[in-house]
Amino acid sequence: MSFYTRLGDGKRVEMTKEEAWADMQAGTADAADMADIPALSTEELETLYDIISADGRLVGVEPGHEVVLTYDIGQLDFTGDNGNSGNGVDMGRLEAALLHERALGADTFELAHSDYSIKPVKPVISMEMQTMEEIQAEIIAPYFYGAMPNMGLYYAPDGPYGNPADLMREFKIDESMASSEAASEHMARDIEFVGTKIMQAGADGFNFDTTASAGDADFVGVLKGVEALRKACPNAYINVGMAGESVMGIHGMIEYDGQVVAGLYPHQQCHLAAKAGADVFGAVVNTNTSKSLAWNLARAVTFVKQCCIDCPIPVHVDMGMGVGGIPMAEVVPMDAVTRCNKAMVEIAKVDGV
Amino acid sequence: MAFENEQKALHDALVSCKVPDIKKAVENAHAAGMPAGDIINVLGDSMSEVGVLFERGKLFLPHVLSAANGMKVAMEILGPELSQADTDSQVKASVVMGTVEGDVHDIGKSICSTMLQCAGFDVHDLGRDVPKDSFINEVKGGCTFCGMSALMTTTMTVQKDIIELLKAQGLRDKVTVMVGGAPVTQAYADKIGADLYGESASETTRKAKELAL
Amino acid sequence: MGDTAGMTVAHMVASGMGGIRTSGDLVARMEYAKHMKLKDAKEFVAKKLGVNTIDMADEVVMRELREEMKLGVVTAVPNAPRGIAAKLNIEELLGIKINSCELFRQQTKR
Repeated sequence: MSFYTRLGDGKRVEMTKEEAWADMQAGTADAADMADIPALSTEELETLYDIISADGRLVGVEPGHEVVLTYDIGQLDFTGDNGNSGNGVDMGRLEAALLHERALGADTFELAHSDYSIKPVKPVISMEMQTMEEIQAEIIAPYFYGAMPNMGLYYAPDGPYGNPADLMREFKIDESMASSEAASEHMARDIEFVGTKIMQAGADGFNFDTTASAGDADFVGVLKGVEALRKACPNAYINVGMAGESVMGIHGMIEYDGQVVAGLYPHQQCHLAAKAGADVFGAVVNTNTSKSLAWNLARAVTFVKQCCIDCPIPVHVDMGMGVGGIPMAEVVPMDAVTRCNKAMVEIAKVDGV
Repeated sequence: MAFENEQKALHDALVSCKVPDIKKAVENAHAAGMPAGDIINVLGDSMSEVGVLFERGKLFLPHVLSAANGMKVAMEILGPELSQADTDSQVKASVVMGTVEGDVHDIGKSICSTMLQCAGFDVHDLGRDVPKDSFINEVKGGCTFCGMSALMTTTMTVQKDIIELLKAQGLRDKVTVMVGGAPVTQAYADKIGADLYGESASETTRKAKELAL
Repeated sequence: MGDTAGMTVAHMVASGMGGIRTSGDLVARMEYAKHMKLKDAKEFVAKKLGVNTIDMADEVVMRELREEMKLGVVTAVPNAPRGIAAKLNIEELLGIKINSCELFRQQTKR
């Protein structure tokens, strides 16, 4: 007896019950081993198996179990090219916002710059403020400003600081660490500048997407930026979404509030985000394209479930292309997306997606 | 097993990533009569484990570099006794690494370069947004591995372009082509005719080491 | 990321509250404004709306209620409040301040 399922690259494959169970057990064990957290119980794996192997093309949660959907990337899902999985439909940002609110059921949405990084917003901040004011006059749902911290833009040749990985390869370890620290401080200042300005234009808040993509100093920069933004704008809605399940230790020793951040997993990352002043934490688990949906989803749910238990603020799991168990495919298979969604809601017990 | 205690001490010292401990373990193993080439092999295998521990968030980049520095110190201590074959085996091959033209993502490729360097490859990291011809020129200059990273679905096609350029210039058989990056998969690597797909930096390094043997 | 239909529509269909189709925007506001976990946010909003939590994502119940309470309606109903007007009513319902309404008050000196 077998059923159709997916690989992490989206390819449709057939699996037997035994194969799926073996993969689910290996996936949850991998997460448990990495983060030193409990694996999923047999009962939870049974629920997960039922979701993965369900007959219907799509699955959904039971009525009453619906969750909040916080959408990222702003209008770029419509206007972007395939690099953003965008549809290439040119439209204004007002139209995109109202389409998400009125036609796509978004519980929150956001304004985004086409580069979707914080640094390039600085020179066009007045334009972004105008657009924010315009859209806030029309929209009803919470409307954020969204961007990636993207600390890579602060390193040469884009920014003033040396590339820490290159410096490490030359065994200039102290210089590399100093470069990371300087870039981190610079990014925190930019977050405060952009965040404060956009709040002055009536934004509901700020969504930080792919935090720590450049490693541990990136995470610290965001946390310090969030801290400053919270101080300047006590009522801002702040969502800190991560880039991966583990904070990469590029610096290795950089701390936030006395805690080394490298190597932290979602259930540990969320405490620092809350301490810095975030309202919602976006847990992320990357998909392995060579493994099955069963392996990836069991692994992702294991990390996120523990995060939901430990996190002092609501958790909105990141469930896009190549994260949250979802296959890495530009045009994502809906069967896999809905299965991942249901599992995160009903097993991990997330507060939102 | 001969030199079992020494092997364990070498492994533990390297995974601890502390240069003085690595130096001491090497000196002790050497004094106990363990052949220089065997010492280096144990350290090399342990280095692979360091790469995996980095990816699992148990060790950080400075640790990896510190372990690599320990390897360097070991080579200096054992240098006079290492045979030419032992020395040669340490420089596995020359690798050109870069993120393809049009793509400015850097971190993943840089970590991969670091892991390859720590594993004994001679790495020529060209950075990001690297013109196609720069890869070709490095292959002409003697690199036998060509590693290309792409982080966007819009730029991953450049990996294919470079493979086609290698073919057109009669260089394809002289080089092992490695591809990676978030949207790249084994299926895509197969489709464009790459030799090696790496899901992660440590997997890329492990596969490259196997192919370099 | 992921294409709009495959990602946005699939998530909405699988588990989404539905935004202003139902009460998703209101629950989201309580999660963000007061750090309320989902269960608490739903219970808080349900009490304010005078419905059971299961009704909160019920399109039929919420369509009528949103119009009656002037919270903004997903379809184009003439004279139903939109934008700032709807948000001023949401502020009152939930007992929170909304930043764009604060700006509106500053600009209009109200």
